[in-house]
Amino acid sequence: MTSNTENIPMPKSNRALFLEQMNRTFRSNKLTGVGAAIFLLVVLAAIFAPLLSTHDHIDQNILNRLEGPSDQFLMGTDAYGRDIYSRLLHGARISLIIGGVAIISAMIIGTAIGIIAGYYGGRTDDVIMQFNDILLSFPTLILGLIVVAMLGPNMQNMIIAISLTSIPGFTRIARAPTIVIRERDFIEACRALGYRDWRIMVYHILPNVLSDVMVMASLWLATAIRTEASLSFIGLGVKPPEATWGGMIREGFENILDNPWLSIFPGLAILLVVFSLNLLGDGLRDAIDPKTREA
Amino acid sequence: MHTMPNSKQSRESDTDIILDVRKLRTSFRITGEWHAAVRDISFNLRRNETLALVGESGCGKSVTALSVLGLVPLQNGRVEAERIQLGEHNLQGLSEEEMREIRGNRISMIFQEPMTALNPVLTIGHQVAETLLYHRKMNKEEANKTALELLDKVKIPSASSRFKEYPHQFSGGMRQRVMIAMALACKPDIILADEPTTALDVTTQSQILALLNELKQDSGMSLIFITHNLGVVASIADRVAVMYAGKIVEIAYVNSLFAQPTHPYTEALMLSIPRSDRDIKTLHSISGQVPPIGRIPDGCSFAARCGLEQPICRKLDPTLKPIDVGLTHEVACWVRGDYNLTMIEEHANG
Amino acid sequence: MFTFICRRLIISIPTLLAVISIIFTLVRIVPGDPAQTILGDQASASALDAMRERLGLNRPLLEQYFDFMGSALTGDWGESMVTGKPILGEVVNVLPYTLELTFVAVIFGVLTGLPLGIWSALHRNQLIDYLVRLTTLIGLSFPAFVSAILLLIVFAINLGWFPVISSGGRDDVIGWFRDLAMPALTLGTIMTAYIARVTRSSMLGVLSEDYIRTARAKGVPNNVIIWHHALRNALIPVVTMIGLFLGVLVGNSVLTEIVFNRPGLGKLIVGALGQRDYTMLQGLMVCYAFIIIFINMLTDLTYGLIDPRVKYQ
Repeated sequence: MTSNTENIPMPKSNRALFLEQMNRTFRSNKLTGVGAAIFLLVVLAAIFAPLLSTHDHIDQNILNRLEGPSDQFLMGTDAYGRDIYSRLLHGARISLIIGGVAIISAMIIGTAIGIIAGYYGGRTDDVIMQFNDILLSFPTLILGLIVVAMLGPNMQNMIIAISLTSIPGFTRIARAPTIVIRERDFIEACRALGYRDWRIMVYHILPNVLSDVMVMASLWLATAIRTEASLSFIGLGVKPPEATWGGMIREGFENILDNPWLSIFPGLAILLVVFSLNLLGDGLRDAIDPKTREA
Repeated sequence: MHTMPNSKQSRESDTDIILDVRKLRTSFRITGEWHAAVRDISFNLRRNETLALVGESGCGKSVTALSVLGLVPLQNGRVEAERIQLGEHNLQGLSEEEMREIRGNRISMIFQEPMTALNPVLTIGHQVAETLLYHRKMNKEEANKTALELLDKVKIPSASSRFKEYPHQFSGGMRQRVMIAMALACKPDIILADEPTTALDVTTQSQILALLNELKQDSGMSLIFITHNLGVVASIADRVAVMYAGKIVEIAYVNSLFAQPTHPYTEALMLSIPRSDRDIKTLHSISGQVPPIGRIPDGCSFAARCGLEQPICRKLDPTLKPIDVGLTHEVACWVRGDYNLTMIEEHANG
Repeated sequence: MFTFICRRLIISIPTLLAVISIIFTLVRIVPGDPAQTILGDQASASALDAMRERLGLNRPLLEQYFDFMGSALTGDWGESMVTGKPILGEVVNVLPYTLELTFVAVIFGVLTGLPLGIWSALHRNQLIDYLVRLTTLIGLSFPAFVSAILLLIVFAINLGWFPVISSGGRDDVIGWFRDLAMPALTLGTIMTAYIARVTRSSMLGVLSEDYIRTARAKGVPNNVIIWHHALRNALIPVVTMIGLFLGVLVGNSVLTEIVFNRPGLGKLIVGALGQRDYTMLQGLMVCYAFIIIFINMLTDLTYGLIDPRVKYQ
């Protein structure tokens, strides 16, 4: 006897479902929107840094060094008399660029590897995942530290290091849905029709994997920015006089007894960006994961 | 087809009724709005009787059982009824603490998926003995001893050595026996069995059914057996209630139902059972789908798939009415039931 | 049970070998001449040659590989270029500091995170839940050095409760505690945040399982359901996640050690970086490899011990 379960209206495309989910997430969990908004503000501040700055961020002003916040220097000056506020804005650029490029490249590479591993399965999958798990189990900071130490501290190598630490996560995330989708009938059909593997992977598997991947991307961007700051703090970041948040805290640390604000402002900046990204990513992830969703 | 059990044509004596449900309505909040999954159904259950609740997935039969036991999650669910009478108690008015005392004690429930219904980190011995610990206040040794006897009773081989094993070490059929042992522990008046054999293979299925029958005869308890499989119903039920879209559309003693399936839905269900004793060329199926929980049309919910529908079917929802002299076979259908149609039509149009 | 442990141990070995091989390859494929990196641009050709000889870079690659592997596995991780002392010895010196910090941080995290996570799950979507979720998220967003510095500013500099610079006094309990408190708190709060979140989501998942419904249908009292039926299942992924979090701690301890000037593995690595102690770096990488593999193995073992499904295969 035909017995279909509850209503089955025409199935919506994955994209439509995704957008619907996003819509519901932002409406139901206001904090997610707050996170997105804050992050957007930071991005805008970084983009318009030169316009928003009050001083040249590299200009030294020995006469005015180590001053507290004032009308002239919104957040005070550092040990070289440079304006902290302007340096903060330019530091945002560095953090966002390094984090952004690292995550985007990790996303591309990791997703590709994950889909390949999931699609082909068997020995390929085993080997890839073994490597992946080893990479994954290394603390991100240590791994990044090692890579930058080996290659030398500059922006490019920072990006490479942080990208490397993020790839295994994306591989994992991309592989899981690939394995599920691979078993579906329409993939069988594609193969029967003679589609080439790469075509199946790009046109049929990738779109389904994307939503999971994008959700995690914001969370890992938060981690990437955190790692970048930590590496800069250790001294492995972009070299001075360029301004990086971690580097600013490092310099501020030397003067911490008398001038704590040198460390506080950049510290708060890092916190703000990472926190807003976490809010955003958390909300997105809750929306996708059925267990933590509301009934 | 299996042989029919001895269905008793018992007297309609009220003292025999162990569970009386009147106008049960269970609703769920789905994306903000409340929709009824069980729509004002009424039925009763007598001592030592097996009542089968039959219907497709989504017709509300499981929800009915959960509603009786108060297991409907309250954040998004609401149970309303005129009464849910268990003997002398109206379960409607009881506090959560009082309901807890009823559950596993006077009413037990068995669930469909033996794989997931047992706690994987607790031994099965403990899970069987648990109700005895909490309801009968036994100490550990007594409870374990009794639990062991129960495992024997449900025919688990080498029960004593398997007492301390974990659910994943048992097969599906064995796990279901464990569930039954758990349900029987406190000698309940009623067992609610929600599709207990659906997840099992056919051989195991018949073993479990035979076990349930035997246990029921021994203990004198009543059984509400929920299933979508009419074939199973024939071998275990005394009375059958057919549900569709949250309503009971036909209710009768099992012999009578099989001899004279009256509601068009029941008839269609009967026709679609694969039978080995007849030569049938094609499998009959019912066209259309069950209306989803939020979109039940006015009038008879089966009208769109019926084939026999009349204009009145689209306007008014039929009520259950007896079609036999003994008043035990009831049907809710304007066309096949026994109503004063002209009077009703006037009422509908006027 | 014993076979289970043996199996786990045996699986770890190829992983360890693989990681050491990767370290070997990494160190040697990196562009640039290590001798140059160490001695700087001004070094003479002969000095560079001598350095290469000393580093063993002139020998055939395969020989270097086996030599490296052999010594790495036997604990001979070379000597520091700067101090000349054996690296293993240096590591053993600072290990107690790192271990006690990690240990205390984990204990703190578990003692505070577990109850918070459970509480949060039980009051899902109510005020408590939102508060816990928010604060743990903030806790997670702090890079360890930021929270360390903030703690330093507030408690050491402004309030003077704790020393700004670690006195290194391990003789009396008070001194030891005062040194340990802030670093442990910095790392501990990170653990609390992670553990609370994992506990919460695990609890929520378990509470929606069928067997919890069965327990309710049996009339089991509510607190028994939570503490006996649900928690035992919920803890399984939490305990195993702690292994993952230990990795996070190991990473963050580097930052904490810098801020609070505490001896430890992290300090060693940073020192080696600053002084271009090439062999020390190599040795420390091998050391970390051992630690990571060990933590993974421990996690696997724990998982096998608590989950009866794995124990009784």
